[in-house]
Amino acid sequence: MRPRVSAAWVCLAAALAAGCASEVQRQSVELVASQPEQGRRYLTTAAVEAQPESGYSRSIRAGTEFVAIGRVAAGLVLKPTQTVLTVEGAHVHEAYAVHRDGQLVGFYLPVERAFAALPKPVSMPLQEKTSP
Amino acid sequence: MTKNPITRRLAVVAMVALLSACASGPKHAEIQSSIPALKAGEGRLYVYRSSGMFGAAIQPNVLVNGKVVGESKPGGFFFVDLPPGPVEVSTSTEVEKKLSLTLDAGQTRYVRTTVGLGVIVYRVYPELVDNAEGAKAVAETSYIGKPLARP
Repeated sequence: MRPRVSAAWVCLAAALAAGCASEVQRQSVELVASQPEQGRRYLTTAAVEAQPESGYSRSIRAGTEFVAIGRVAAGLVLKPTQTVLTVEGAHVHEAYAVHRDGQLVGFYLPVERAFAALPKPVSMPLQEKTSP
Repeated sequence: MTKNPITRRLAVVAMVALLSACASGPKHAEIQSSIPALKAGEGRLYVYRSSGMFGAAIQPNVLVNGKVVGESKPGGFFFVDLPPGPVEVSTSTEVEKKLSLTLDAGQTRYVRTTVGLGVIVYRVYPELVDNAEGAKAVAETSYIGKPLARP
């Protein structure tokens, strides 16, 4: 194949990929109040790089503050207080972190009331914030 | 400057097209005092697009919960007050990429519209940004929303 033709195919494939991203895979879940964590604030002590199934990576900076708002079956739901989190596929969804055993295991989508699991949970060390 | 009259005319037409593609309303600082306070029980959504020539001619409608509320213009912003609850933002471009977010009463949120590459043409899609970044960007853009009452 001639290089010029090959480059054209690459461009076309990239354009199609950009226009046809897959839906974020998720399942409906119930968010329940959880004592005693509810309302507690946490800070990430290291940067987190997550690779959702949809292919759009997400990063959380070290020092990002979260507040616990409840639990889903997969773990504790943490809402960012000063920044925003989204997951992206064919559409973009506001998201909260779901944390379990020191790891980010997926995202809770508050509008869809659904959980989008990470194919590979990643380390997300947290420190409870005691001062306001 | 080129001496070819056709090339020169094309350059002028292109320049006019690019300039007319940018938002031309008053800057945020000029109308800040005219922006009404949030009503009790409502939230506010700012929608903006940073200045830039990339895809500047693509200026789709912006829809919130399926209703047209404004346009995405380079360097322009507007806002819409909504009852609390789930919000869906989309634009009327070739590929529809919706943004879903929550809005609480008394809360202000910022949505940036960004130009990306679609299958055939450019598309404009909405992104949720944090308030610090959104407020800073809106301060640098021009108001293109509905006329505001004088303070």
